[in-house]
Amino acid sequence: MKKKVFYTLVMLLVAAFTAGKVVAQEVPHVYINPGHGGHDSDDRNVVLPPFAQGDTLGFWESNSNMWKGFALKEILTKKGYQTSISRISNTTADDLPLSTIVYLSNHSGADVFYSIHSNASGSGGATLVNFPMGFYRGYTGQPVIPRAADLLGALAPYIIDNESTVWSSPNYAIYGDWTFRPEWGTQGYGVLRGNNIPAILDEGSFHDYYPEAYRLINHEYCWVEGWSFSLGADAYFGRLEQFGQGMVTGTIRDDRILRTDIARMLGADKRLPVNQAVAQLIDSDGNVIDEYQCDTIRNGIYLFKYVEPGTYTVKVTHPKYFEQTKEVEVAANAKTYLNFDLKRVRDTPPVVVNYSPVWSEGDAPVPCNTPIVLEFNWDMDTESVEQAFEIEPAVQGHFVWEDTNYRMIFTPDDAYDVNTHYTVTLKKTAMHGGGTPMEEDFTLQFSTQDRSHINKLALFPDEGDAVHYKAGAYVEFRSDSLLNSKDLYTHFHVYDADGNALEFNKRNIKNNKKGDDYGYIRISLLKALVPDADYTLQVDKEVADTMGLHLQAPLTVNFKAVDASARAGEAIVIDEFESSEGFAVTESESAGGSLSANSDHLFGSKSLQVDYTFADDEPHVLTVTTAQPESSMLQTSASSGFVATDKVGIHVMGDMSYNRLNLLFADEQGETHEVPVGDITFHGWRYVELSLESLPAEKKYRFAGISLTKNATVMGRSGALRLDNLVKQSPVGVTDVAVNTSVKVMPNPASHYVVATADGYITGVELLNGAGQVLVRNASNYVNVADVPAGVYFVRVYTSGSITTHKVVVAH
Amino acid sequence: MKHLLLSMMCCCALLAGAQQVNVVSTRSLGAAIGEPAYYPVLDASGSRLLFAAGERYGLKLYDFGTGKVTPVSEERCAGIDARFDHSGNVYYVTQSLNENNLIYRSGYCYHVASAESELVLEPQHGAMNYAVGTQGVAMRGPRKNYASARNIGTAVDVEGSELLITVNGKLNRYSPVPSHAGYLWPSLSPDGTKVAFCAAGSGIIVTDLKGNVLARLGNYEMPCWYNNDYVVAQNATDDGHQFTSSQLLLLKADGSWRHELTEPYSMAMQPTTATGKIVYTTIDGQLCVMEISIND
Repeated sequence: MKKKVFYTLVMLLVAAFTAGKVVAQEVPHVYINPGHGGHDSDDRNVVLPPFAQGDTLGFWESNSNMWKGFALKEILTKKGYQTSISRISNTTADDLPLSTIVYLSNHSGADVFYSIHSNASGSGGATLVNFPMGFYRGYTGQPVIPRAADLLGALAPYIIDNESTVWSSPNYAIYGDWTFRPEWGTQGYGVLRGNNIPAILDEGSFHDYYPEAYRLINHEYCWVEGWSFSLGADAYFGRLEQFGQGMVTGTIRDDRILRTDIARMLGADKRLPVNQAVAQLIDSDGNVIDEYQCDTIRNGIYLFKYVEPGTYTVKVTHPKYFEQTKEVEVAANAKTYLNFDLKRVRDTPPVVVNYSPVWSEGDAPVPCNTPIVLEFNWDMDTESVEQAFEIEPAVQGHFVWEDTNYRMIFTPDDAYDVNTHYTVTLKKTAMHGGGTPMEEDFTLQFSTQDRSHINKLALFPDEGDAVHYKAGAYVEFRSDSLLNSKDLYTHFHVYDADGNALEFNKRNIKNNKKGDDYGYIRISLLKALVPDADYTLQVDKEVADTMGLHLQAPLTVNFKAVDASARAGEAIVIDEFESSEGFAVTESESAGGSLSANSDHLFGSKSLQVDYTFADDEPHVLTVTTAQPESSMLQTSASSGFVATDKVGIHVMGDMSYNRLNLLFADEQGETHEVPVGDITFHGWRYVELSLESLPAEKKYRFAGISLTKNATVMGRSGALRLDNLVKQSPVGVTDVAVNTSVKVMPNPASHYVVATADGYITGVELLNGAGQVLVRNASNYVNVADVPAGVYFVRVYTSGSITTHKVVVAH
Repeated sequence: MKHLLLSMMCCCALLAGAQQVNVVSTRSLGAAIGEPAYYPVLDASGSRLLFAAGERYGLKLYDFGTGKVTPVSEERCAGIDARFDHSGNVYYVTQSLNENNLIYRSGYCYHVASAESELVLEPQHGAMNYAVGTQGVAMRGPRKNYASARNIGTAVDVEGSELLITVNGKLNRYSPVPSHAGYLWPSLSPDGTKVAFCAAGSGIIVTDLKGNVLARLGNYEMPCWYNNDYVVAQNATDDGHQFTSSQLLLLKADGSWRHELTEPYSMAMQPTTATGKIVYTTIDGQLCVMEISIND
């Protein structure tokens, strides 16, 4: 009997032990992989105030992933699961390599694998993207391990039903990692690769959607995601009915006030989360079961964990808000969301506490773009205020609200009328955010100045202008007041005939500065224009001065690109301006200047630069004279001077001074005559042709220099212009080869010298290339071509009575 | 002059002590295998190779002598952790799901001679690991175990953060270094005197058979003994989502020296070694055979 009892007891013990072991072993085993780790280079830090970059208390994906993972492990353990987790700290050492994580998962005996992450759009908060995504290994719809798709499908509803966040898409996006990352081929996500159990990687939300990043810093928000994962696991393993507690969570926000710390937000996220609001969970007997105070990190999240099913009241309080209570039904093993939109305590009627412009009769008039600013004692109901706003005479304008609707700014769309008296009335129907109207109307008045827009002083290119085609051509706009230089160049556009925008050289932008006499911006084109092509310059209306006044209308001008040197071959060069020698400046107290040779040239190797300064805006004159006019061989002998029927041309590099340039011609009696070239209204090289018909007839002249006359505006008090070849229009162009003449050149072909013969006296010979550029010149009857490359050239022969051109071949 | 002499002597001493490693040859097995292959395992003689075939990770056997590929198991993931035993038979684990999505694992022995698989450990829910000893194989399940011999000789295995060392059939558990996540990739040196394994978070550790730490080889993965003095390992980096580099290293077992067998961007991984032969795969499953020479 004793033996029987003994055996029975042994058998019962074995049975009980075995049964217990089986039950213990038959629970699901979940492997948890909180992604990333270590606050290091493969981690993700979103820098948000009040946390500095690198502050480990701020948003790091490794932090929120870990808190989610810890929560999941805690909850699953409470639910009777077996769990493994790949890291329990946030160190680089604990940030395990991908192969290691997969091996640990494979050898853990787990039934499923969760890799927990959050996502990023990479836009740095610039895009409004926030939705959950999940991945399994394989192509979308074709998972390598089929049950992985079921695992993800079980999780998705519990992630997307998050009512504390604001999603940009209503769906949980499910992808195979090979489909989502085709550039990786079948490499896929490292923790899914080689993982031999149903494994998924969840990107729960977008952490570079900044309101979400603030939420993800909150541990309780992360706990809720862990709870969501646990529900997904329960659904997958058929255990939804096996846990008896629930939870309540939500977000507490202001019902009206908008948050201003983040530029781009979705839906309810635009409203201010209420820091440090206190939420209490109260049972049906009035007992406070739990209490939670929101953190100070701008998320408004509250949470009550492990709540017994039943009916509760959640009461939310905050010193600056009206108390709010809501009833809630908590279900077992489910998610219960209850968001609160608190009403701010506003216990007095709204009044205007500050305003501008502050103006009284007799005060100076205000600028015509002066914004009307009203500051209130409460955050205002913007719609009622805008409806209550009146301005007389009526002005089209727009409203901007600042300081969470405490400040209203009305700005005219264009400008107020000049010299006009305005009256602004805010009717007492304007209400604050709590719905209480003002007790009386508010009015203000002001008068405007006599100027409502900026005025164009000058523009280059202007309509019909010719612009030398070389890269770096200037575009310049001048106004009668200093321009606001911030991004000013973006309001200027040059288009070719096909409508393609030309690029500016952003490193060569010159703007006006404080103290300048007028406003200006000078920018240069990055690339060369195409000679003879047409272009358009557009200037936006938004070009504004430092007071905010802008153009009354946009400007559009058409101009043409030219080669300013193209005409040179058709004329006799009178002066090449290769050196400042032989020229002298005649200075006075009101006009000074200097001369130099400049390497910026059209012909030869130099140009003559004339730097000048005028004392004021009176019509002072600076004169540059040729000190030794006889020094020019061509002028004195080849061209034999000028007569009134001649035409001359000069190449001028302008400085847009609007000063007048004149050529000086001296007659045989030594009297000097001015022939205007024109106002220097342009930048860059330009060929200017002019007739000498204003000179007294029947006389001979020689070129005697130039003069510069100050214009009557504030422009052009100082500057520099350059001169290159002064030419006299030739009766024969380089392509007009002489045929019937006594002038001969030989030999042809030539290898060393080209020699000219004529019936008369030969004063000079030039060798020109096909472009008309003078390559060799000699004040005799020959030119040496020994060093000239072989090719076809033209020889121009000057005699006392003629100029002839001859085609020659140079051969060596 | 004295300094110069001393410097020259030091240099000579260093040169005398330096190892020169040459990669004699590297050839691809891609044509012979004909599909992406992962988790290669060489047998002790280096003449046969197990691998996980394609994305199903089915288990296949490649014979270097005949160039023939033999399917061992079509079961999904059977090739991920297969082993040869001392006699050349193959042990592997398969999985099945019950109605509640719990995974049941079964142990099999593939008898090479008969080309048949035998169920040696019935389906169990939970982890199934095994130790391949010098005289037999022991498979451990949550409820039942299997041993091919009463005394499996000397064997090493890991379980959680414990190193399991069996000597003459007697099992001892050691935890020579702390590791929350656990130990991985145990490997017994050819002479049966040393163990290399990876401790998650601490890298590769070399111990004697009593669990005494002999050396720490660095934060690398998948150690396998090239010979009694050298270990081949994987050195991979990632961005938290995907591999950014992976190479093979040759490490001196005393931790004094390392040599890069492949470039970081070779994406070489999962090495296995036997009798001086190194087989590895690449990120896209190209099996390669490498032979090296070491001049000590």
